Amino acid sequence: MLASVPSATLLGIDGQLVEVEVHISNGLPSYTVVGLPDAAVRESRERVRAALISSEVEFPKRRITVNLAPAGVRKSGAGLELAVAAGLMIVGGDLPSGCLDGVGLIGELGLDGTVRPVPGALALVDTLSRAGVGTVVVPAGNAHEASLVDGVAVRPTRSLGELRCCLKGEMPWPAPPDPPPGGAGPADADGMGDLSDVRGLAVARTALAAAAAGGHHLLLAGPPGVGKTMLAQRLPSIMGPLGRAEALEVTRVHSAAGRIHDGRLIERPPFRAPHHTASPPALVGGGSGRPHPGEVTLAHRGVLFLDELGEFPPRALDALRQPLEERVVRISRVPTSLELPADFLLVACTNPCPCGRGAPSCTCTDAQQDRYRRRLSAPLLDRFDLRVSVSAPGPDDGPGEASAAVASRVSAAVARQEARLADWPWRRNAHVPAGALERLVPLGPDADAAWRDAIRLNGLSGRGAARIRRVARTLADLADRPDVDPPTVMLAASLREDVP
Amino acid sequence: MTADVAVSRHADVPATRPTVAAATLVQLPRMRPDRLRAVADRWPDPVAALRAVCRGRAAAALVHADGPRSDAGRRRLAAEWATAADPDATARVLARRSTRVLLEGRPGYPIEDPLPDRPPYLLAEGEGLEALDRPRVAVVGTRAATPHGLADARRLGEALAEAGATVVSGLAIGIDAAAHEGALAAGGLVVGVVATGPDVVYPRRHVRLFDRVRSSGLLLSEAGFGTPPEPFRFPIRNRIIAALADAVVVVEAKVTGGTRSTAGHALDYGRDLWAQPGSVRNPAAEGCNRLVAEGALPLLDHAELIESLDLTPRGRHDPARPPVPAGAPRAVLAACGGEAATTDQLVGRTGLSPAEVATAAAILQKGGHLIRSRGTWWPT
Repeated sequence: MLASVPSATLLGIDGQLVEVEVHISNGLPSYTVVGLPDAAVRESRERVRAALISSEVEFPKRRITVNLAPAGVRKSGAGLELAVAAGLMIVGGDLPSGCLDGVGLIGELGLDGTVRPVPGALALVDTLSRAGVGTVVVPAGNAHEASLVDGVAVRPTRSLGELRCCLKGEMPWPAPPDPPPGGAGPADADGMGDLSDVRGLAVARTALAAAAAGGHHLLLAGPPGVGKTMLAQRLPSIMGPLGRAEALEVTRVHSAAGRIHDGRLIERPPFRAPHHTASPPALVGGGSGRPHPGEVTLAHRGVLFLDELGEFPPRALDALRQPLEERVVRISRVPTSLELPADFLLVACTNPCPCGRGAPSCTCTDAQQDRYRRRLSAPLLDRFDLRVSVSAPGPDDGPGEASAAVASRVSAAVARQEARLADWPWRRNAHVPAGALERLVPLGPDADAAWRDAIRLNGLSGRGAARIRRVARTLADLADRPDVDPPTVMLAASLREDVP
Repeated sequence: MTADVAVSRHADVPATRPTVAAATLVQLPRMRPDRLRAVADRWPDPVAALRAVCRGRAAAALVHADGPRSDAGRRRLAAEWATAADPDATARVLARRSTRVLLEGRPGYPIEDPLPDRPPYLLAEGEGLEALDRPRVAVVGTRAATPHGLADARRLGEALAEAGATVVSGLAIGIDAAAHEGALAAGGLVVGVVATGPDVVYPRRHVRLFDRVRSSGLLLSEAGFGTPPEPFRFPIRNRIIAALADAVVVVEAKVTGGTRSTAGHALDYGRDLWAQPGSVRNPAAEGCNRLVAEGALPLLDHAELIESLDLTPRGRHDPARPPVPAGAPRAVLAACGGEAATTDQLVGRTGLSPAEVATAAAILQKGGHLIRSRGTWWPT
C-alpha cells in the first residue's frame, strides 16, 4: 500500500517541494528511508517511530520504505517528519486514505509526539502553496509565520495525536494563537540608541544620512574612540520601515536561518555586525551540506556593519566584492548552486593607520602605513561611495540632531528616489548604473563645471566620478532640491576621501 | 702560498684595465663597503688588488674589515673570491650597460676630500656626467613626509636647479623623490645615490624616476650589479650622499631614521648642514628641529643656502595664485591656522555647515591654497 504526502525542505532560503512516499509491503519488518536524506533526516526514523508509539498508534511491523522525491535533491533538517508520520498512519490504517488530499505537512516530531517548529516555515509554506496545496498543516509555533503567506489555509497542530483527531474530524482544528503585537525588527536592531547620543562628527552624520537615503556604502576612518562605531550602530534608527514585500523577503531569510521565534513579520531593516574573525563562508554564506545564508544575506535590505575593517581576513573581504556589485550571492556546491539575496548597505569603520592618530600627528612608518593600506584592496575601497575621515569632537560640540529628524528627511529622500526611479529597475541612487546617470542625474552648467573640477583636482577615475554624481543626487534629495547645485557636488566630492 | 689556497683561472691574466678590475672587485660575492675599503687600502691599484684577490691573497686585507672574524672564515671568503672573480664577464656588463667606473684618486672621482671611509670605486650610470662638476646640494628627509614637506622639498629642488646646483639624494620615497622631481622639473641635473646595484630599481614605484635621473644626471652605486635592497646598505649609502655634497639640507625628518645618519656624516665630513624647522606638532619635523637645536643652520630662506654656495638665486617666484575669496573660504583658510585639518575640524572651528565648508575648501583647492591628502586639508 502506498501513501503520498506533500512536504517541503529548505534549499538555501527557498523551499523545495518534496513528495513523501510511504510504501508498506509484506516481508521482514524493516524501515528504510531513501532519496538523498542527510543525517538529520535519517535520524528521523527513530523520532517518527517513537512519536507514533507515544501517540498510541501502532507502528506497522512490516516492510516500510519511505521515499523522498525528487530523489536527486538533498533533503535536510527534520521538517519532513510530520509528513512521514502522517503517511505511516495512512498506510497503517490509522487514517482514512483520502484525508490528506490537497494537504501538505511540515513539522519536526518530539519523542512524545509533540510537533515542534521548524526553520524556514515561511518559505516552506510558500513553496507548498505555489505547488497547488490548499491547506498546510504546520507546527503551532510556526502558525503566525505561515499565515503571512496569502492564499493558503494554515492548520496549526501541537501534537501527532491532535493531528490524527483533527484529520479524522473527531475534533476541530485548534485556533491559531493570538497574533503577537505589531511588527518589529530582529532583536539586534532594537535598543540601538539615538543619534543625539553622539557628539560632533558633523561630516560623518551627513554621510550617514546619505548612506541611509541613497544606499551608498560608507567607510568611516578615524582615530579610536571618536564615536565611529557609535554613529554607525545608530544607522537603523534613521532608516525607514521596510515595505510589505521587502519585509516578507527579510522575514523569509531570517526564518530560513532559524532566527525567528515569535513568527512576527520583520518590518525594520536588519543590522548585522559580524566580528572581524568571521570566515569567508560566514560572511557570504555556504558551509558544508545545506548552504547556509551568510551575513550578507542576513543583512539583506538592511545594514552590514564591519567594525575594524582592516582586521578582517583579506579573503573574507574580497569575497564581499561580488555580492556588493550584484546584490546577490551565488554559492556553488557540487550537487547544487544557489543564489541568495544580498542587497545590503555596507558600513565599515577603520583606523587611519596602525597608530590610529592619522595625519598630521601620525607616527607610523611609511612601510607600516603601506602594509595597513594593502590589507584593504583598492577594488573593495572603490566600492564605498562615501569615505569619510572622522576626527574627535571638539570640547564645544554638543549633541547632534536626533534620529527622528534625520529619519524624516531620509524617508522623504527615499520617496523622491522611488518617484524618480519608478520606471527603472533600480531602487536607490546608488544602484543607478553609470550609463543612466546622464539621464537620471542631469547636471546644470554650473554643477557640471563643479563636477569636472572635482574630478580634476581629486584625480578621480571614471568610476569615482560617477560615484560622487550619485551621492550628489542623494544629497540633493535629502535637502529637497529638485536639481543638483554646485555646492552639493562639492559636498559629495568632499565625502569621498582618500582614506585610510 | 699553501696548496689549499684557491687560485682563479684569471690569476695569470696580467692586463686588465683598472676600471674593469675595480668593477670586478665590487662585483665579488659577499663584498661589502668596508671589505672593499680594506682591499683598496691594502692594494691601492685596482689591478694589483684584483691580481691579489685572484691569487687568493685577500684574507690578509680583511683582518681589519668588519668581515669574517676567524682566520678560517677569512680564508674561505678569499677562496670564494678567487674562484668568483671574472673580469671578462664584468667587462661585458660594463660595456653593455655603458656603466662608468669612477676610481678614487683619478680624474672624475667626485669626492675630493680623502675621507677614510669613502668608497674606493663608484659605478656611475647616466647621461649627465657634468652633474658632478657643479656645486652639489644633498636634499634628504623622511620617507613618511607630510604634503607640506613634499611640497617644500620639491620647491627646494627647483630653486637649486634654477640656481645651477646639482641636487643629490637617495631616490627614496618621500622627501628624496620630491627633491629629485623638483630639480628635474626645473631642467636641472641630479645625482641619485642608490644602496642597491646600479641596475636595480628600488623602490619599484620609482621606475620612471630612475629613468629620468639616468637621462638628466647620474645614478651612483658602490654595490655590484644585481645587489638587492639589503637593510644594512642604506645607512652606509648615506655617507656617500653626505660626502658628495657641498651642503646637506634636511627638509623633514623624524628623530630616528636614516636621515639622522646622513646628517651625522655631514657633520663628520665638515659639510654645511641645514635643516628646515617645522611645527612642534609635526612628528615629521621633530628631527629637523632637533638638528637646529644641536647647531644645524635653520633653512629659513632658499636664497641664503644658494648664496652660501656662491651661486645666485634665480627667484622664480610662486606662480600667481588667485586671492583668497572673502567669506567662507577666508574663514576656512584661517581656521586651518597653517596646519592640516579635517573637514570635521573645520566645521567645528568655523561653525559653518559641512556643505559650506566643502564648497569653500573646493574653491581653495582650485585656487591652489589647499591640498587634499588622505582625508585632510593642507594649506599650501
